[in-house]
Amino acid sequence: MEYIYQYSWIIALISLPVPILIGVGLLLFPTATKDLRRMWVFPSVLLLSIVMLFSTYLVIQQINKPSIYLSIWSWTINNDFSLEFGYLVDPLTSIMLILITTVGVLVLIYSDNYMSYDQGYLRFFAYISLFITSMVGLVTSSNLIQIYFFWELVGMCSYLLIGFWFTRPTAANACQKAFVTNRVGDFGLLLGILGFYWITGSLEFRGLFEIFNNLVSNNEVNHLFATLCAFLLFAGAIAKSAQFPLHVWLPDAMEGPTPISALIHAATMVAAGIFLGARLLPLFIVIPYIMNLIALIGIITLFLGTTLALAQKDIKRGLAYSTMSQLGYMMLALGMGSYRAALFHLITHAYSKALLFLGSGSIIHSMETIVGYSPDKSQNMILMGGLKKHVPITKTSFLLGTLSLCGIPPLGCFWSKDEILNDSWLYSPIFAIIAFSTAGLTAFYMFRIYLLTFEGHLNVYFQTYSDKKRSSVYSISLWGREEQKWIKTKFHLLPLLTMNNNKRTSFFFFKKKYPINRNVRNMRGPIITIPNFGTKNIFSYPNESANTMLFVMLVLGLFTFFIGIIGIPFFNQFNQEGMQLDILTKLLTPSINLLYQNKKFLMDWDWYEFITNAIFSVSIASFGILIASFLYNPCYSSLQNLNLFNSFVKSISNKLKIFENKIINVTYDWSYNRGYIDFFYATFLIQGIRILSKLILFFDRQVIDGITNGVGISSFFVGEGIKYVGVGRISSYLLVYVSYVLIFLLIYSFFFL
Amino acid sequence: MNYFPWLTIIVVLPIFAGSLIFFLPHRGNKVIRWYTLCICIIELLLTTYAFGYHFQLDDPLIQLTEDYKWIDFLDFSWRLGIDGISIGPILLTGFITTLATLAARPITRESRVFHFLMLAMYSGQIGTFSSQDLLLFFIMWELELIPVYLLLAMWGGKKRLYSATKFILYTAGSSAFLLMGILGICLYGSNEPTLNFETSANQSYPVALEMLFYIGFFIAFAVKSPIIPLHTWLPDTHGEAHYSTCMLLAGILLKMGAYGLIRINMELLPHAHSIFSPWLMIVGTIQIIYAASTSPGQRNLKKRIAYSSVSHMGFIIIGLGSINDTGLNGAILQIISHGFIGAALFFLAGTSYDRIRLAYLDEMGGMAITIPKIFTTFSILSMASLALPGMSGFVAELIVFFGILTSQKYLLMTKILITFVMAIGMILTPIYSLSMLRQMFYGYKLFTATNSYFVDSGPREFFVSISILLPVIAIGIYPDFVFSLSVDKVEALLSNSFYPSFL
Repeated sequence: MEYIYQYSWIIALISLPVPILIGVGLLLFPTATKDLRRMWVFPSVLLLSIVMLFSTYLVIQQINKPSIYLSIWSWTINNDFSLEFGYLVDPLTSIMLILITTVGVLVLIYSDNYMSYDQGYLRFFAYISLFITSMVGLVTSSNLIQIYFFWELVGMCSYLLIGFWFTRPTAANACQKAFVTNRVGDFGLLLGILGFYWITGSLEFRGLFEIFNNLVSNNEVNHLFATLCAFLLFAGAIAKSAQFPLHVWLPDAMEGPTPISALIHAATMVAAGIFLGARLLPLFIVIPYIMNLIALIGIITLFLGTTLALAQKDIKRGLAYSTMSQLGYMMLALGMGSYRAALFHLITHAYSKALLFLGSGSIIHSMETIVGYSPDKSQNMILMGGLKKHVPITKTSFLLGTLSLCGIPPLGCFWSKDEILNDSWLYSPIFAIIAFSTAGLTAFYMFRIYLLTFEGHLNVYFQTYSDKKRSSVYSISLWGREEQKWIKTKFHLLPLLTMNNNKRTSFFFFKKKYPINRNVRNMRGPIITIPNFGTKNIFSYPNESANTMLFVMLVLGLFTFFIGIIGIPFFNQFNQEGMQLDILTKLLTPSINLLYQNKKFLMDWDWYEFITNAIFSVSIASFGILIASFLYNPCYSSLQNLNLFNSFVKSISNKLKIFENKIINVTYDWSYNRGYIDFFYATFLIQGIRILSKLILFFDRQVIDGITNGVGISSFFVGEGIKYVGVGRISSYLLVYVSYVLIFLLIYSFFFL
Repeated sequence: MNYFPWLTIIVVLPIFAGSLIFFLPHRGNKVIRWYTLCICIIELLLTTYAFGYHFQLDDPLIQLTEDYKWIDFLDFSWRLGIDGISIGPILLTGFITTLATLAARPITRESRVFHFLMLAMYSGQIGTFSSQDLLLFFIMWELELIPVYLLLAMWGGKKRLYSATKFILYTAGSSAFLLMGILGICLYGSNEPTLNFETSANQSYPVALEMLFYIGFFIAFAVKSPIIPLHTWLPDTHGEAHYSTCMLLAGILLKMGAYGLIRINMELLPHAHSIFSPWLMIVGTIQIIYAASTSPGQRNLKKRIAYSSVSHMGFIIIGLGSINDTGLNGAILQIISHGFIGAALFFLAGTSYDRIRLAYLDEMGGMAITIPKIFTTFSILSMASLALPGMSGFVAELIVFFGILTSQKYLLMTKILITFVMAIGMILTPIYSLSMLRQMFYGYKLFTATNSYFVDSGPREFFVSISILLPVIAIGIYPDFVFSLSVDKVEALLSNSFYPSFL
């Protein structure tokens, strides 16, 4: 019991050997390592499973007896101050640990298949193991410096993984954007850490909280300074969790492989900001304005993310904006002080969104064989449609994730989202209205994605048909026209990726083998593959992904289905009387609940209130779903809907229709241009920095260097001048000499005679 | 055994062995290369042995001292000795010079002279770091200039003569100030001249005179460090020099300026230092921002890295300016850390230039596929340069930050302001270093060009980059490697020279 905690420092180190070994192997013995590629995955999955078991055990221990275990080693010993590192196991850590490891293991298994035809297969596993290691390190950190340490490391892993397909210029830009944006947050985080160190003289969490609380109660703190520091600290969370001003990197981060989007950019790393907020909540609640600020940023992000997600045509971008808005929910909950709801939503959302991303990965995988490997096409929802028939299992699990995210009762996200929505009523009605309406919009865009992807017929082959048919319907025709040139693929990209042909991975740099040519190994050059590529005349249909991927998705589906249990109060009611606490509450009881301080909480679970709220939120969600199915249900798929829809369309007057069109166009423009925020940053910040650096460079070259060169040149001219004076002719010397003598004599005679 | 002249041997061996190169039989370049490499390795081993067995880490005094009279009436003697501050740079010198010799193997033109010059530089640098006599310090300082000038002028790029002239004029001009300062200290006060560091350290001067001396020394070291606005020789020199020379320049030569600032300006002239330290902070902060924002505008790869080293030297200046243990330790750590990182970046830039034959970043692109090893090491070192945790740069910068924070000399507002501006440098650093990476390696631009130079780094190049990489990571994970060298000496220095003045 005690010694499980003593040895839990091992958790962070167990999975470290894998990236080190793969890295060393790839650098020193590339061929041998690549030949053994599948062999390397086994240890990484195995080690991670050990970590998973370990953390499960920890969680069980924590549930039985919530406790905090802290252990510290010194890192540097200096006279003035010493840096330490240690690990802290408390309920929050254990929850995060089990979340990271379960999603991590599943994503590792999934990506074994997803990445199997990629040249960078091993590199991918090295990066992802490194990421999991640093993420585990992050959640077990015991002081702020350690948090910063791992905070940057996960940022770097994210950078590496976004830029994984480095031959794509978009990926190159995206990874740099992600890193720099995160660095802005890290800048705040570091300054905040330094500020609090200056105030309290401590970096370790508990000492920091105690000292700070004492200082506040004795009124020895400059409130402005403390608020500033807290805000700077929170800036780290803003960047990492893609909150409002610094959210721009997240949609671009979808350039990375899909398992990465599931693991890093949906489930774990982006939740690190929430984790940090939860960890530092004791600090934040004593500083007055910061909680309101957190809630405000949360609600802005929530609204922005939802509206931006409305008309994305890239399936992963849509999901990314959805992630952003869900993170906004969590931030909102955190800012309202309902710690429990934030964490609950973090967990349920992590599983649901991982499921959705893995599902979209499976879809992309299936689509790639037909439309080609460019992300512009394989992730484009316009070209999808009707996948229901071809990929039934993916469809089922994707639907499960969609329903969960919409907040449909038995699924995970319903419970957590409902809790946040309830709490928002207590906090502020305006926030609650926004939160509720975004819940409806969430349901709308999630179902839009689902319908466009799975319903109807495969639009690749019916493009012209569906364009003609639905000239009045806004969904596809709005952006379908731009895609006419889709058959002119970026061919030049692909041979590049395959030039370095290895025997085993002679095929595409990307993932999936070509459906027609089964014997991939015999194919060497890229020349053979290109003629088949993107051909229109072969009407091949997408295939269901391999079993490993489906298995992972099913497991995640189960998680999505049942994860709500940990937070449902009435579940444990029957077992223990008097202890009507759900698992999550039991874990987090020692922590603070701001909102319920004056309410008798939890001991009397208000059935009436719960059911009314639930009915309200579910009805909003189903309203969103209904509208989505009106707008996006393909016109030739089912007659009844069509009739219903037509009568609906006929019934509204023409004026209203124009108005509606306008709204839709505005929404579309807003969403397509990403709320003009990226544009704003690109014009003002990036151009600003470019111009500034040009100016400074000019100054450096022309002024500072110019002075030096000027001195050089002027001395050169002086030298030349003197050379002309002293030409070496005796007569000129005599002339000068005589003239000076004459002048001297003149002066002499003038003064003295 | 205590009287064995370790340091003399260490200082003299390279140049002595180097002059024997001219007597080697004419058997091609291979013999010379191997000979030089062996000398370097022997020297490095000798240094580590001597320091390992005859140097007590916990003793803040000068150790392994040697004192031989040279010119009596000037009090000039061959006086050597090392302490906690100089041991780090000496080991760094040995390490980087050995690797630079290994990196210089492709050079075939006039290889005798080249290797002789490398070894002469080796002597000069170790001599500078280990001399305990002002005039000897000056002589060693000058001794190391001439090899650099020749290395630049003979093996540089297209504009080598311009850069070499600029370099020599800048440094020789600054040396004049150094000499003036040294003569001033030497002749001041008592009836007989003193050049000994230890006796000069205990001497006190009138404030005005001390400030005058301080300014003189500061100009000399500011050129070398470099400190803005005296930095413009650096990008030109680095842009033109062969990359082995660049490794020495970035790895060691710049550190001589910082070392001089600690050794002479802080130790000998503490009052002036505490007067000037706010200005040092301001200059250092401006330098970080200035150089980091100049860098993205640079098209030339090597010049961009050069500006990044200028930016990193700002941290050293700030560390020196925050007169306390933490800050000074951070500055020393930054000296070592940037010695590794700067040298490695220049090496990698040079090797990739060898392959691509393009100097400008916007012409490059897509090299990652063909030269993955260089890509990997380059990425890791760019990360180290932008102070990623786990690498030495992060620890150094963090400790410099803590140094400012705990410094008792400054007001809260100034501290906040300086910290804030320094931290902006943290945002600017990834912008230039990552866009450098992106422009060089990402994308697919150059892929169509069939280029026969595109071979991944061979075992020699790979060895060089890995052996620089390992200490960077080791220091980043366990910084006490370096701190254990310097902590006691730093404490002694500060308590001797500075804290009495506060009481």
